[in-house]
Amino acid sequence: MTEMIQEILKEYNAKMKLSLKVCAHCSLCAESCFMFIKNNKNPIYMPSYKFINSIGKIYKKKGNVDLKMLEDMKPIIWKNCVLCTRCYCPLGIDIPSMISLARTICRMSGVYPQYNEIY
Amino acid sequence: MEHINSIYVLVYNLVRGPLVWISSIIFIVGTIYQIWQMLLLTKINTRPIIKVFDKQYNETHEKNKEESCFSSLKRTICGIHPIMIVVTTLFHILLIIIPLTLLAHNILLENAVGFSLFSFSEKISDILTVLFLVSSFFFFIRRIFLKRVRIISTFYDYFIWFLATAPFLTGFLAYHHIFNYRIIITLHIFLGELMLVAIPFTKFSHMIFFFVFRFIVVNEYSFRKHQVIRTW
Ligand code: SF4
Ligand code: SF4
Repeated sequence: MTEMIQEILKEYNAKMKLSLKVCAHCSLCAESCFMFIKNNKNPIYMPSYKFINSIGKIYKKKGNVDLKMLEDMKPIIWKNCVLCTRCYCPLGIDIPSMISLARTICRMSGVYPQYNEIY
Repeated sequence: MEHINSIYVLVYNLVRGPLVWISSIIFIVGTIYQIWQMLLLTKINTRPIIKVFDKQYNETHEKNKEESCFSSLKRTICGIHPIMIVVTTLFHILLIIIPLTLLAHNILLENAVGFSLFSFSEKISDILTVLFLVSSFFFFIRRIFLKRVRIISTFYDYFIWFLATAPFLTGFLAYHHIFNYRIIITLHIFLGELMLVAIPFTKFSHMIFFFVFRFIVVNEYSFRKHQVIRTW
C-alpha cells in the first residue's frame, strides 16, 4: 500500500508540497466554504483544516500511513467536504485539488463511504 | 573583557560585511529560482475564452459592474474580515517599504554601491515601524486567541512570525538606544539577513506564490481573468 501511495505522492509532489508550504495558516478561506458556515462556523470545517489534516498529514508521513490514519481522515474529506470547489484562498492555493488527491489516496486504499453507510 | 570585545568586533564585521552580500545573493537567486519553479508548475492556457451572449446574463453582469466599488467589495473577503484585511495589507506593505525607505539603510547602500533609494524621514520611519509592530502583534494575538487560527497553527507558524517581526523590533530598539546598542544592532543585522535568506525557501515564499498564482494563473478569483495566460 505504502509504495502505491508514494508513487502517487511523487506524481503531485511539486504542486502539493508547494501548496502545503505556502499556506499561511491564516484561516481566511473559512467563510468561502458553505460547510463551515452551515455547521456553526466550527473550525474543523475550514478548507485549510481539511487539507492540512488529510493530504498534509500524508505528505508529512511521506506516504507511510496506515489504514487507521486513513480511516481517521475519512470523515474529514468525504463527509465534511463535498468537493464543490468553491473554496477561496487569497494566496491562490488550489484547495480542492488537495482534498481531491487525499480522496484518491483513500479510495485506492479502500477507505471511502459505502453506498449504504450512514455517517 | 578585551577578549569579549575582539569577538564582538569580529561578529559585527562579519554580519555587516560578507553576510550582507551572501544573504542578498541567496535572496535574489533563490527568488528567481522559485519563480521559475512555480512557472514550471503551470502551462500556457490553450483553451479559448468563451464570451457569453446570454442577454439576461449580460444584463446582470452589467448591473454588477455598475455597483459601486465599495459595495461590491463588501461581498468579498474584505467585507467578511475588514479589520484583518486592513491589518494584513498594512503589515505586508510596511514589511517591504520600511527597510527600503529607511534613511540609515539607504546611507549604507549609498556607501556600498554608490546609489540609494528614496528615504522617508527618520520620524516617519519610526511611526511606520510602530504601526508594523502593532499589526504584527495583532497577528500574534489572533493566532493565540482565535480558535479557528489556533487549531491550524504549529510551532513553525510562530517561528515564522518571530522571524518576520524580530528584525523590526530590534531595529526599533536600536534606533531608540534601548538596551545595549551594540548587541541589539548586531542582532538586528543578523536577523534581517536571516529573514532575507528565509524568504524564498520557507513559508515566507507565499509572497512569491501570491504574485505568480493570483496574477497569471487563471481561476475565477484571479486578477487577470479576462486575459487568461496560464493554468495549473
Ligand atoms: S488555504 Fe489560504 S486562506 Fe486558507 S489558511 Fe491557507 S493561506 Fe490562509
Ligand atoms: S470543496 Fe470542500 S472545502 Fe472547498 S468549499 Fe467545497 S465543501 Fe468546502
